[in-house]
Amino acid sequence: LNAQDFPLYGAERRGAPVTAFTRVSDGDILERGYIFDPDISVVMDESLLDDPLANPLAGLRRGGVLLVNTRRSAEAYRRTREDITILTVDLTDLALKVLGRPVLSAASAAAAARVLSIAEASLQRAVADELEEIGVGGGLAAKNLELAGLIYAKLKPMRLETRELGAAETLVPLSVIVSGSGSEDAVSTGNSYLRRTGDWRTYRPVIDYARCTDCMVCYAYCPESAMSVKDDGRISIDYDNCKGCLICVTECPLRAIVKQQEGVA
Amino acid sequence: VKNDRLITGNFAAAWAARLARVDYIPAYPITPQTEIIETLAKWVREGLMDARLVQVESEHSMLTAAGAASLTGARVFSATSSQGLLYGLEMLYNMSGWRAPMVLVNVSRALAAPITLAPDHNDVLAARDSGSVQLHAENAQEVVDLGLLAYRIAEDRRVRLPAIVNLDGFFLSFTREKVDIPEQAKVDEFLPEYKVADPFSATRPVSKGSSVMEGFAYSYFHYHIHEAAQRAREVLREASQDYESLFGRRYGPVEAFMLDDAEYVLVISNSFATLGKQAVVSLRKDGVPAGLLKLRMLRPFPVQEVASTLRGRKVVAVFDQNLSPGSGGILYPEVTSALYHLRDRPKSVLPVVGGLGGKDITKHEMMAVFERMRALGRNGETAPAPMYLMRDDEMARVNRMLSVARGVQPKK
Repeated sequence: LNAQDFPLYGAERRGAPVTAFTRVSDGDILERGYIFDPDISVVMDESLLDDPLANPLAGLRRGGVLLVNTRRSAEAYRRTREDITILTVDLTDLALKVLGRPVLSAASAAAAARVLSIAEASLQRAVADELEEIGVGGGLAAKNLELAGLIYAKLKPMRLETRELGAAETLVPLSVIVSGSGSEDAVSTGNSYLRRTGDWRTYRPVIDYARCTDCMVCYAYCPESAMSVKDDGRISIDYDNCKGCLICVTECPLRAIVKQQEGVA
Repeated sequence: VKNDRLITGNFAAAWAARLARVDYIPAYPITPQTEIIETLAKWVREGLMDARLVQVESEHSMLTAAGAASLTGARVFSATSSQGLLYGLEMLYNMSGWRAPMVLVNVSRALAAPITLAPDHNDVLAARDSGSVQLHAENAQEVVDLGLLAYRIAEDRRVRLPAIVNLDGFFLSFTREKVDIPEQAKVDEFLPEYKVADPFSATRPVSKGSSVMEGFAYSYFHYHIHEAAQRAREVLREASQDYESLFGRRYGPVEAFMLDDAEYVLVISNSFATLGKQAVVSLRKDGVPAGLLKLRMLRPFPVQEVASTLRGRKVVAVFDQNLSPGSGGILYPEVTSALYHLRDRPKSVLPVVGGLGGKDITKHEMMAVFERMRALGRNGETAPAPMYLMRDDEMARVNRMLSVARGVQPKK
């Protein structure tokens, strides 16, 4: 069996969306780089399903599997596409229960391995090897292995018979490519409105206005400028851009900001 | 006995340095090369390598230190990318003039501006006239193997020049795949300790690269560099035989892929050669006589191998993942000039430019190149217009980015 993997990350920080591809084959792998037509797509953060830049459903083959980390049921995603199998599993909840933090690498690997009928022993060895590579051993490694085992047991292997979507591609002639000026300036002041970075949160900070004295300590500490002062003089949180780092929760001298898990009422 | 591991191209490069038992690693970090230096630093700290790793203040200093250390008889390794290679380029020319061997891994990354982290070969090809030997890797196995072969070539008395081993950023540097890591004892047999006949040291000061002023003296030294670079061919041939007998893998300056009876041949280098092979396999299944010639050694340029493998073919396409503005792809004229003297040269050689700045190449795009070759075979056109690869969906994304840059809010 041959395997190849390829992660894509740019000048982004922890918590930002990342993409990674894995190929598995009995024969030689004559491909590399991006996978445009995956058999299985694992979405670790469901908010990315609605993100036009991420678009994790693009190219997923007919008959393929979409595996979403969510507390919702597969039924909730039926509208997305009729020609694929949708599986949902709450990886975040299990990771919080077992690891105490929302780290999903081992959990996602376990989910994909189960669906692809990869033996549990191989999964356990891979998780141990990967963690050892980044210097994680002992209790934390054991907990990751436990988490992987739990998720492996929750899902069922699937027989995948997929075919390409067959979207048309056309090459563009040079005359079209060079029809602009080629020296365009970026004049807009920002394009953060294109990506709601607040979607990355696992926890959201919530202000208890009964205790808040508008001392502005959170405003000073927020690394994302997600704290602002409303017309009535009170502090408010821009949830479209707050990434849920919870520095404000730590820094608030009055404990007037509390954390709430996203998606939990 | 195979020692298969799943490792990245960068990790494979670090393994080459470790197995070569390098003495000295002057380093300066740059994406996507950094992981190589990080890995070596870890191994040195853990005592797995008996080497001195020093972080210097720039790639210019890095190659200056590398050259000086090499002349003392140390085996030297370093790695860089893109802007870093260009910043150090002046010293690479000096190293070939000093006849100071080293192995420099370049992890290809396109040059600014605009800035990117993803690969094309304008960085490494900017060093093509520097008097360094260049070996280009398609996969992680080649990275470790060519790294070891590069030491044999660079340090050979007939050559004594720096050697660059190139691997593509991301598509190879950060891609993990199966690699058989050579056994240390066998590597020691293949690559004995580096011995320089006339080492420069504190007690034996010498002057290297003295000013000559007169053109005839300069010419004398430069013809020597040229001759030494030419001799790298025969050294690769010899070293490759030894390598094959020890490790079972043989590396010529080119690789022929499904070339028997092939009429339509794609010439390509580096990691995207894998994508070309996929297209060839798929065309062969449909009975189309397609083939691929991978260029592995770019300096010295394998003129004879290119000529002998491409003679008599119907149509050839040269895939350049680089662009010399005002000329076109850099490899195209090198390949066509190797064919010029042949009576039975291919009637038509198609220039293709693609993958700039790491632009991905889909199966459809590779197939489009072969379709164009087949059309040229039918209509007999001898001076085909170049293909500059870009898809309509990519052009739509460019236009969207331009409208964002202009401050226009795109429709939701």
